[in-house]
Amino acid sequence: MNPKQLACVVLMMLIGAVVYGAQMVHQRVVGMRMELENAQADAKAAKDSLDTAEIELAMTKTRTQDLRRFLEAWIPHIDRIQTQQEVEEAVEVSLRERGISLVISRKSEVRASRDDLVLPKQVLTSLVVEDEYAKVLNWLGDLERRLPLTRVNVCRFTGGSSGTQLRVDISFATPLVNLDANVKPGGKKA
Amino acid sequence: MSDFLCHDFKTPRTDTSRRLPSSFRMVPVAFYVALIGGAYFMTTDMMNYKRYEREKLEAELQKDDYDLSIAKTESEKSGLDEETMKAEAIAKWVEGARNVQPIGVYVARALGLESRITELSLERSEQVPANLSFSMRLLGGKMEELAKIESSLSRLNYQSLSPQQNKEEEVIEYRSTLVRRDY
Repeated sequence: MNPKQLACVVLMMLIGAVVYGAQMVHQRVVGMRMELENAQADAKAAKDSLDTAEIELAMTKTRTQDLRRFLEAWIPHIDRIQTQQEVEEAVEVSLRERGISLVISRKSEVRASRDDLVLPKQVLTSLVVEDEYAKVLNWLGDLERRLPLTRVNVCRFTGGSSGTQLRVDISFATPLVNLDANVKPGGKKA
Repeated sequence: MSDFLCHDFKTPRTDTSRRLPSSFRMVPVAFYVALIGGAYFMTTDMMNYKRYEREKLEAELQKDDYDLSIAKTESEKSGLDEETMKAEAIAKWVEGARNVQPIGVYVARALGLESRITELSLERSEQVPANLSFSMRLLGGKMEELAKIESSLSRLNYQSLSPQQNKEEEVIEYRSTLVRRDY
């Protein structure tokens, strides 16, 4: 091989090297472009998911507005009665303020419910009182006003010891609400 | 130096190597073209590479922002759902905890002066707490007064279902199930 041929070979090798180098760089650029497209597609998908989540949130807000307002209105009553003592105290104050003189029997106990996370406990109260007709009815109204969550299970009015007297045998359940309960949708019963 | 030698030195010499084919003259040209083209393409590719890299980083940051916003939105929605479930539980309880005192008052108001309630009982249904089992014994009352009582109770949005009444001498026994009607 003469020097001219050798020079040509060297030049052609250099051309090959340049082309190869350019091709390698171009491949890297193509790879980066694909990565960019993937990243942009991911960002777009995330944007779509965000839009969907925002729509769902807005719909949930609208759908649950009344219920949440309802809960908000009940929170002060719920916060006021959180223990058995508070229930008993409310009953006691009601009886005293309404001037019910004869309390024949009174019993209260707490019943727990494992399944119910929001209403985990109920104070079951049984009372037998006797007094004038109007006083007894007014007391019952006052009791239901003081303990608005109270559910009267049984209420039996009978005649008292005299014609003007009324005897009421009542049993009611007052829930002790736990608003801090960790209730998960689809989880344990609320 | 002799003349012969000088002459001999200036004598044209034959090529020591063979000439290249004329097409090989394009090789240096191709080399320069490759050099210039390579430089151009590599420069533009490198510039594109940097731009793509920057845009990819931006897209990734944007995706992270969206993901964060999605997490926040879902957390807020989860909080709302939780609040709603609690509200539903309270509402369900309250639905079965309506006051019974007005029932006693309305029944008493519906009666005439000669009538007297000897017993009035209200028992809440365990299956449907909004419903009340109502029973009453009326002394010296008239059957028409029962209609008045039912009418009074309807003003409290209670409807008497399956009413049963029985009169023995002066005592009227009345039973029904009070079902709450929400209009």
